[in-house]
Amino acid sequence: MSSLAKRKPPSLVMLSTVFVLFWLVVAAFPFLWTMWGSFKVEGDFFSRADWMNAITGPVTQRQHGSAFTLAGYEGAWIQQEFWRSVVNTAIVTLFVVIISLTLGTLGGYALARSGFKYTFWLLMAALVFRAMPHVTLVSGYLLPFFQLNIWGFLPTTIIVLVAINQPFTLWMLHSFFLSIPKDLDEAAMVDGCTRFQAFRLAIIPVMWPGVITTGLFSFLLAYNDFTVTSMLLTQENATMIPKINSFLGSTQEEGKVMYAVAAVVSAIVPLFALILFFQRQIVSGLTAGAVKG
Amino acid sequence: MARLQLKNVNKRWGSFVGVDNFDLDIADQEFLVLLGPSGCGKSTTMRMIAGLEDVTEGEIWLGDRMVNNLEPKDRDISMVFQSYGLYPNLSVYENIRFPLRVRKVPKEKHRDMVMKAIEMVELQDFMDRRPAELSGGQRQRVALGRAIVRKPTVFLMDEPLSNLDAKLRVSTRAQIKNLQSKLKTTTVYVTHDQIEAMTLADRVVVMNAGKIQQVGTPTEIYDTPANTFVASFIGSPAMNLVEGKLEKGVFQGDGIHVEGLPAGPSGNVTLGFRAEDAEIVEDQGQIAAPMYSIELLGEASMITWRLGGALVSIKTNKEYRAEIGDIVHARIPASICHLFDTASGERIDDR
Repeated sequence: MSSLAKRKPPSLVMLSTVFVLFWLVVAAFPFLWTMWGSFKVEGDFFSRADWMNAITGPVTQRQHGSAFTLAGYEGAWIQQEFWRSVVNTAIVTLFVVIISLTLGTLGGYALARSGFKYTFWLLMAALVFRAMPHVTLVSGYLLPFFQLNIWGFLPTTIIVLVAINQPFTLWMLHSFFLSIPKDLDEAAMVDGCTRFQAFRLAIIPVMWPGVITTGLFSFLLAYNDFTVTSMLLTQENATMIPKINSFLGSTQEEGKVMYAVAAVVSAIVPLFALILFFQRQIVSGLTAGAVKG
Repeated sequence: MARLQLKNVNKRWGSFVGVDNFDLDIADQEFLVLLGPSGCGKSTTMRMIAGLEDVTEGEIWLGDRMVNNLEPKDRDISMVFQSYGLYPNLSVYENIRFPLRVRKVPKEKHRDMVMKAIEMVELQDFMDRRPAELSGGQRQRVALGRAIVRKPTVFLMDEPLSNLDAKLRVSTRAQIKNLQSKLKTTTVYVTHDQIEAMTLADRVVVMNAGKIQQVGTPTEIYDTPANTFVASFIGSPAMNLVEGKLEKGVFQGDGIHVEGLPAGPSGNVTLGFRAEDAEIVEDQGQIAAPMYSIELLGEASMITWRLGGALVSIKTNKEYRAEIGDIVHARIPASICHLFDTASGERIDDR
């Protein structure tokens, strides 16, 4: 019976397979192309003579004696001190995630459990701030930051990124908390917990998928941010994305654009690793609110 | 072990009155049932005792402590929730151990105490399972086990059986009754099911619209309901209530005529009697009216008339046969009748 239901016309199978393959190539091509090209020199990757040079790499062969070279990575990481940006990004994302999640879980829980009407307006206000373009926030902050002499430091950027990110984490965690029945907190409180212990011992253990999903979104926001970091950080405090941008902006010297390509690949790899590692939690987190247990 | 007193307890949300002047003294080891339709304030009363809801006015005393301003954890109570409130990430064993863990009971005592509770609720075979892998009845037993593990002074149970199917409800009910008599802990039990109330309670509190309607033993509540609300809420079927006029001990209603009632009250009254107290007769009955319906219940048949606006039912033997529309007589001796004032609903005979 099931085989009958599963049987589809061969033309449909063909069509869908071709479509999926086509889509896969379109979606993955830029990444693969960049990754391949990052091991070549500029003369190959940006070759004017023949685009096939980017694949075969004759200039790379001539200059380095092999079709692949780590020259781009060496230049970016060692010569241009890209590792500094990596460290800066690590600091910024780590603190943005920790602060957003701490405030987000506490605030989201409070909003989800509060019986007052103003919680609705607080959430609405959060939505408005979330909808605003990031640059409006930054332009407002710039002058006071200069005058207070705190412009250019990592903590300043962390605060602004948290401010941009917080409305979203609040919303997301709030709806996760709403999906957890109130009985659970009350049972915990009768069993001997304070409100905070009930939150920590009874609610958070059930909330892990939600916390991880929200944390991942906060991480991506901080990791990928360009508007805030490029305007608020000095050159030596720059995170990866503005640093890559500065490589691209200085093409007068040959080979420098390859630093950007190598840096881009370096910035992508951790993202793949992270998503692959957390994929199960992310999927269960994204669907957790949808069905009630 | 404690006596629980509620002194003129009120709960208001703005102008809405949830609980109105609840005043009750619950003796040590008593099994008290709060009974009423949904929204009558019975759960709110229980939540105020637990400390999950603030008291607007009045005092709650547990033993010799006024507990109004104490956190739930400091009141030494335990509670069983309608939806169980189990910790889904913990095993049955850990769920029951949770109160001991948070209350910092010395670790070496945990195993003994938890095992004892698990035995009492008969969950030995399910210790390592998660709540999601249990049936409804088993989950409710875990919740019971968690409530009894640390011997609190008062048990609170908020409709613990209403999520179970009918058969399981009967067996779990018996189990709760048995547990309470073994543990001798003061218990407050909330339900909207009058059979649960009758079978479990030492005393029943019938509530409606935030007010106490009557407090008494199940027998008192059944035999002498204080007003028409209690009369129509207790018993299955509920008490028959017919409106009519009373004069010099003679009640006259539509299709019903009863003599020999108390001579004192007069005017518009509601006459009440129970279906199982009256009987069908050939003729000369106090009721003489066309039959509205006949239903076979199994052990008996139920004959129904329509008198005035009300449906009136009487139980008779299961062999009884009559056609709908036939004139059927019933004997209603004055001794089984209850009299209520029609306007206020209050009882006016002095039983």
